[in-house]
Amino acid sequence: MGIGSKVRRLALLAGMAACAFGLSAAQAAEKHKIFLSMSYIGNDWQAEAANMVKAMAAHKSLADKVDLQVQVAGPNAQRQIQQINAMVQSGAEAIVVYPISPTALNQVVKNACDKGVKVFAYDAEITEPCAYNVHIDQLEAGRVTAEWLVKKLNGKGNIIAITGVPGTSVDDQRTKAAKEVFAKYPDIKIVGEAVGMWSQAVARTELSKILATRNWDDINGLWMQVGCFTANSMQLEAGKKTSELLPCAGEGSNGGRIQMLPEGTAVEGAAAPYAPAGAQRISYASPPYSGALALKLAVEAIEGKDVPKTTILPLPVVTNETIKLCDEGTWAEMKAGCNAFKPSLVSNPGWFASIFSDQTPEVGLAAALVGQPEE
Amino acid sequence: MSSAASSSPVPGRFGLRRALVRNRGALIAAAVLAILLFVVDWISAGPLTYFDVSFLSSGGATSALAAIGQTIVILSGGFDLSAGAVISLVNAVLASSMDPMAPGASIILWTAVGIGVGMAVGAFNGFFIAVLRMQPIVVTLSTMFILQGVTLLVMDKPGGFVSPDLGTFYLGDAIAGWLPMPLVVIGVVLLAWFWLKGTRFGTALYAVGSDPDSAASVGINVVLVRFAVYVIAGGCYGLAGVFISAQTGSGDPLVGNPLLLSMFAAVVVGGTRLGGGQGGPVGSVFGAYILMIVVNILLVLNVSAYYATIAEGTILVLAALAGSISHASVLAVQLRAARARLAAWRAGILPSQLERVDRRLKIAEPAHAQRSPASPRPAFHLRNAETLRYALPAYVCLLLIVVVTQIWLGRAILNPGYWNSLLVLSSFLAVLALGQGTVILTGGLDLSVPWTIGISGIILAGMVNGSDAALVYALPVVLVMACAIGFANGFGIVYLGISPIVMTLATNGILQGCALLYSQGTPAGFSSPMLRWVMTAKLAGLLTPIVLLMVVFVVAAVLLLGRTPFGRRVYGIGNGLRAARLSGIGVERTLILVYMLSAVCAAVVGIMLTGFSGQASLGMGDDYLLPSIAVVVVGGALITGGRGHYLGMLGGVLLLTALQMLLAGTTLPYATRAILYGLVVLGAVMALRERRLQ
Repeated sequence: MGIGSKVRRLALLAGMAACAFGLSAAQAAEKHKIFLSMSYIGNDWQAEAANMVKAMAAHKSLADKVDLQVQVAGPNAQRQIQQINAMVQSGAEAIVVYPISPTALNQVVKNACDKGVKVFAYDAEITEPCAYNVHIDQLEAGRVTAEWLVKKLNGKGNIIAITGVPGTSVDDQRTKAAKEVFAKYPDIKIVGEAVGMWSQAVARTELSKILATRNWDDINGLWMQVGCFTANSMQLEAGKKTSELLPCAGEGSNGGRIQMLPEGTAVEGAAAPYAPAGAQRISYASPPYSGALALKLAVEAIEGKDVPKTTILPLPVVTNETIKLCDEGTWAEMKAGCNAFKPSLVSNPGWFASIFSDQTPEVGLAAALVGQPEE
Repeated sequence: MSSAASSSPVPGRFGLRRALVRNRGALIAAAVLAILLFVVDWISAGPLTYFDVSFLSSGGATSALAAIGQTIVILSGGFDLSAGAVISLVNAVLASSMDPMAPGASIILWTAVGIGVGMAVGAFNGFFIAVLRMQPIVVTLSTMFILQGVTLLVMDKPGGFVSPDLGTFYLGDAIAGWLPMPLVVIGVVLLAWFWLKGTRFGTALYAVGSDPDSAASVGINVVLVRFAVYVIAGGCYGLAGVFISAQTGSGDPLVGNPLLLSMFAAVVVGGTRLGGGQGGPVGSVFGAYILMIVVNILLVLNVSAYYATIAEGTILVLAALAGSISHASVLAVQLRAARARLAAWRAGILPSQLERVDRRLKIAEPAHAQRSPASPRPAFHLRNAETLRYALPAYVCLLLIVVVTQIWLGRAILNPGYWNSLLVLSSFLAVLALGQGTVILTGGLDLSVPWTIGISGIILAGMVNGSDAALVYALPVVLVMACAIGFANGFGIVYLGISPIVMTLATNGILQGCALLYSQGTPAGFSSPMLRWVMTAKLAGLLTPIVLLMVVFVVAAVLLLGRTPFGRRVYGIGNGLRAARLSGIGVERTLILVYMLSAVCAAVVGIMLTGFSGQASLGMGDDYLLPSIAVVVVGGALITGGRGHYLGMLGGVLLLTALQMLLAGTTLPYATRAILYGLVVLGAVMALRERRLQ
């Protein structure tokens, strides 16, 4: 039939191609082969974190050392397992991973560790002991924000809680810690609770549903994992004055940060509701630089430095007392204490502004926006 | 196929050929998988070793096992959306009930527990579908919500413990160095299937899937067959849950949920026809592995993250196309028809080239002249009896929900703000229901809704950037883009013969990639003041402008589906494709228009959401896919097409939105809410039960 000869010819081609690949692999042997396995890429946080990792890999301090390949697993843990296996097979020295599940990857991560691959999880956690974890203390996040809100309300009032994605450990820890704080104050009542999926858009729909049977006037405060920017916008739409905005403990979106600036502050590109309003806020976040830091630590670990198994990032907290507008958003400027970005630079108010870390001078605003490292 | 089946007096010679024809889908899927394996082997640095094969076999096993169950359901003419949730539940149950201190775990016991949980869920589904004759899609959708709630009650966060013994058994080698255990497990399930297929039950299964009425009239117990199908399928999902538990060694209440869509893709890629009667689980197993090996291909090709979903979508379409190459494939038929038309045009005998004279047969006078005053039109409720029967339950339930809201939360019935919020929040699904509903009326399904919404919103926000003037050109651009998306869907389905589920799933992935590339991961821009005014302002403190627009939209939608030739063609196609074609309906053109309508509706929702939120975000459409299907079915439409009224769907929209508002106003935990939501949906469609088979 001639099929046999065709197969043989193809096999020959394959062999030649393999040789070519082998050559290029040899040339790149100086570089460390590192893979990034991302989760579902279709949301703002993930995309921002991916930009920062890419910027870190492109920074002059790492560009000669690192051959970074980015792969997306989607929301399916099964596929991430498959992907990590394939990465190990193709000779990874380290794998930086946003774990879809803290537990489902344990077996495959253990396999990888057994083969000498360093596995770094960022933002969320992998419970397998051989993995390196880089994240914030979610319990602390829940506790600090709840305590701030209780203090603002003098221990008394009706609050609405908007949580994250149910069934994840991050949501579980934040919500649990916050509720423990609220439980200590019998006069604090949670009158409405909804699942916000860590999305401004969902927060708006859920708040609209709650407010269909309630009034803003019945509510004294808001505790939201994501959505304070939206909540403030909705109050302004409902005819509230900026001075009447309810205290809101919530996420570190740039829109929310800009709203925290005293009303009347001149800010380039601001337009209501993405404008200074003197909103009473505590703003925290799971910082999107964690992936970039994980990559940096991974390179250090490959080079034989001693890297601790768990890196707990300082909780980035901004309140009305510490809010400060950045001019350009360079790392040096953020180091000096600024933590909000002009709408003319960051046009998406839902964009996460907690991008500063002492440990990552390689990445600044340009890294988070377009994947461009600092000089 | 029929000729080969009926005229083969020499079984020895034609038996092989017949078997080949019968199992074409599975064979082609196997060939595609082999080619993909060869590609991976070719482009990756080293040769494929036993180790790689072993990894691959365990990676795809969960999907493959679940796909076997799904295939059996689909063969019987059903649909099971609860599959992913069953896998999560079994995983949670195993992980939370195994004792980490116990020295060893009985593999047989825990496998039985997993399969048992799955079968119990299957029996629940089967009871409502087979005994109460309710539509599978809506029953299993409700079950999915209920199970998600139950799973969170069993285990509210990832954790727990699954004995490593299970992992050693299920991921180990059956014959060291030669045969990985996952393949043996799948093989055993398939052997059980072959045995089952050979029994009377197997024949009955295919018969029920092909035509339940005929099956019933030749004496098959349709109720029993359907019930058993869901129980068996539940067992397969249970086994998949056991497998993923063994693989991960722990529990995660969300682990199975994302498997649902890829499971359907696996079934269709494997050559099983949605709607029943044709195909088999073997192909689905290959389909599942095809989808899994794509991960490896993307890795060795080093496809960058933003292109990943585009590449996946393309591979999905190519795999589906490869599966349909034959003389009888839609593409071949269309090409032959085009050649025939060209020849006719050359010869000048196309109908449009002939003289324009009235060639109608003079059989009867026009109908309106015949109606005598002695036989007046029947009363409204008689003329629309069927529509009312299927559309009214949603409204009755809506009324109940509103009353409960009033009693439980107060401030509902007499509060204009409540009604305004209800209508504004309903508006998104009301628009989607027209698009998705029309697609469903033709017997299709549009899974590209989420990212059509997403990309429309992102492009609109980027172009408008807060300027009302820019709306003038931004709106048309977005709508034209939506038309192109819909045209691509329709073209693939009609002319390339790709199943709607696969085609629109692939489009969804491609659109996601495009949205990421366009926005570079950070969607820019925000809604213009006018758009925000439409979605969030309150005229006279009471009424949001979009509500007025919705009234216009609803009237237009009802007229479009009920009073235009387009609407009648849609119903015609849904009731019988062949009959529609023979009666002269331009099926191709109508179907393409239907998918374009759906894409335009999704784009409008993207625009509305951008106005509502003030900006666009990635993934903003993700939460609208399943609800868009649910409201259509809750509103009385038949998922297989041909029956349904837009006002019924609107009732479904209002009902589900009111229910969510009620639940959001309470402080019940999420798990309880999910269970309640599922139960109410199930209760609401009880009234939509099919009439008993005669």
